[in-house]
Amino acid sequence: MKLTTKFTLWYFGIMLVVLLIGGYIVYYEIQDKISRVEVVRHQRLNDLIAEQVRIGGDYSNHPTRKRATVAPIPADSVPKGVSTYYTRGIDWNPEFQTNEYRLLVTNFYLIKGQWYRITTYSFIPSFYQLLPGVVDSFKWILLLLLILVIVSAGLISKYILAPFKRTLRVIQSFDLKQKGAMRLPVTRTSEFLELNQFLEKMTDKAREDYQSLKEFTENASHELQTPTAIIRGKLDLLMESDIRDEQAILIAETQNALERLSRIHSSLTLLTKLENHEYEADTTVCISQLTRETLNSFEELIQLKSLTLTTTITEKVNVPLHPSLADLLLTNLIGNAIRHNEAPAAFEGDAKGVSEVEGQDWEKGEPGFSGGLIQVSLTREGLVVVNTGRQPQVPTIELFERFKKGNSGSDSIGIGLAIVRQICDLSHFTIDYQYHAGFHCLAVGFSPRVVASKLLQNLSLPLQDRIKSGWPKAN
Amino acid sequence: MKVLIIEDNQELARNIRDFLAREGYICESCDTLEAAKEKLGLFQYDCILLDIGLPDGNGISLLNLIRSEYKDSNVLIISAKNSLDDKIIGLEKGADDYITKPFHLAELHARIRAVYRRKNLGGTSIVAFNEISLNTDTFEVHVGDHLLDTTPKEFDLLLYFIVNKNRVLSRQAIAAHLWGDYTDNLANFDFVYQHVKNLRRKISAAGGVDYISTVYGLGYKFNSHKPE
Repeated sequence: MKLTTKFTLWYFGIMLVVLLIGGYIVYYEIQDKISRVEVVRHQRLNDLIAEQVRIGGDYSNHPTRKRATVAPIPADSVPKGVSTYYTRGIDWNPEFQTNEYRLLVTNFYLIKGQWYRITTYSFIPSFYQLLPGVVDSFKWILLLLLILVIVSAGLISKYILAPFKRTLRVIQSFDLKQKGAMRLPVTRTSEFLELNQFLEKMTDKAREDYQSLKEFTENASHELQTPTAIIRGKLDLLMESDIRDEQAILIAETQNALERLSRIHSSLTLLTKLENHEYEADTTVCISQLTRETLNSFEELIQLKSLTLTTTITEKVNVPLHPSLADLLLTNLIGNAIRHNEAPAAFEGDAKGVSEVEGQDWEKGEPGFSGGLIQVSLTREGLVVVNTGRQPQVPTIELFERFKKGNSGSDSIGIGLAIVRQICDLSHFTIDYQYHAGFHCLAVGFSPRVVASKLLQNLSLPLQDRIKSGWPKAN
Repeated sequence: MKVLIIEDNQELARNIRDFLAREGYICESCDTLEAAKEKLGLFQYDCILLDIGLPDGNGISLLNLIRSEYKDSNVLIISAKNSLDDKIIGLEKGADDYITKPFHLAELHARIRAVYRRKNLGGTSIVAFNEISLNTDTFEVHVGDHLLDTTPKEFDLLLYFIVNKNRVLSRQAIAAHLWGDYTDNLANFDFVYQHVKNLRRKISAAGGVDYISTVYGLGYKFNSHKPE
């Protein structure tokens, strides 16, 4: 809800309460004032009648006696300390032939040693007759106020909140990577001024932190390479010296760890570079050609793992992407599909407790699993890579995070998909990853308008048909 | 072959020197641009290994000098920065190849040999060892008179073995050589094993000697004197 709307609603609520109380007060005030005025009038009339009585004479047809009763009363029935009182109530009005509200004023006079009670009355508008008038007028007041509040809230907030809105616009366009400091508009409102000062201080700090972090990453990446290269070289030299078997194992294990270190390191450096927008796309790249080249370079691996590859590649699909990134994207996607590919038989057997296919020693076993499938489909909308494989142990969406692995036992470092997602984010591609009945389906939509998941539905259909028609026989 | 190593890190320079010395190369090293200029003025080198980040300047600046004054030398850039710009600038300025730290020494050696072959063998691009000969232009392998049917990766692998013969090649080094920088997805040593196995089978089938042996725990070795 907008701030202005909120203010207006609150004001409206307060106005309603004030007006209700005000209405009540007005209603009773009018009632009271009318009675008072009438009482004073009647007292004067009663005084006049008393004067007439004092003078003596026949006044029975005098207009003053029309609604008056004059009664001599014994002295002891005169109330003590009170010379006048009035009562109100509904009574029959013979002139109008209707029950009306009557005000009755009684005065006591001592005239020539005799007490008189003089009572006069008149019919006044009933309070219930007043009520609609009060309500009506307050209704109009309320309406008028409401219109005023809405209009003024709109205008005033526009004026008062203008610096705030300008600040908002500046913050929205703020980018950590921008060179200069963020400059906010000057304002005379002290709260906004304080906010602006705080924001400027905060963004400056964030920018500095970002810069130093970036510098640190660059330095770390640079400075770590040389020692790693030295260790690697020493191990290479050590390997060739005269060593015993157990020493060989030690070297091999060191090498594995070092390999891992250097891979993590180069991947992280790459991710940092991507984040720093070091690879801006200034031209388009023909992804059809690249896909074919990448598949060619993986051909031997596909054969080694006895995978069945099906491709549908639309010709001349050009996307705005840096050539190196396009290469990385394809290498990672297709590489993953090959590396994590397992034939359904391999993991179905797993569930039944049949011996593990994975984790074979490279020295002895036949590592290739037969019967795995890969499908690569490229259209103008996007790229879909589908492969067989066992169910990931974590939700597929989490696999895009760094160091997340579908299978904790694998020796990959789990950064390939993070790189893929980073590239997609940078290029405004959409990406989706689903696992369904033994199939890993990964889709990249080349345009923000194309939702990757939609792509998955369309393009993985042929493969779904293949499931129904049964698995292809392993060769 | 005479090699000049321009590298400010003494340990790394010594690694390279030790490794290449076993190939019978004559290696000299220096750690600054100034020293390098001095050495280049005095001696002729077949190959120059140039580190980009030097204490007294950027190694790229030396490239101009080398290209104008010492045209015959091969230049191989060694850089810690795996940045694309550096790679492109380096190659444009006339470097023959570019290798990124951390590299395997065997890989460096293979690269040195490759640029040397391209420049110095006067068009003939045959790498031969006993009965095995490789043509690096046509990617054909002959064992004796037999033409071997090898895949590109197997060709690469065999060349790598022959260049680094009598050396233990780790599976990591082979994987990095065959699949390049971003091998995270593919550094599956099963693949290395498969390739080596296929290669050995093919050579043996063509009547060649099985020079390649497994080194326990570490990797493989191409033995020039096969112990029978």
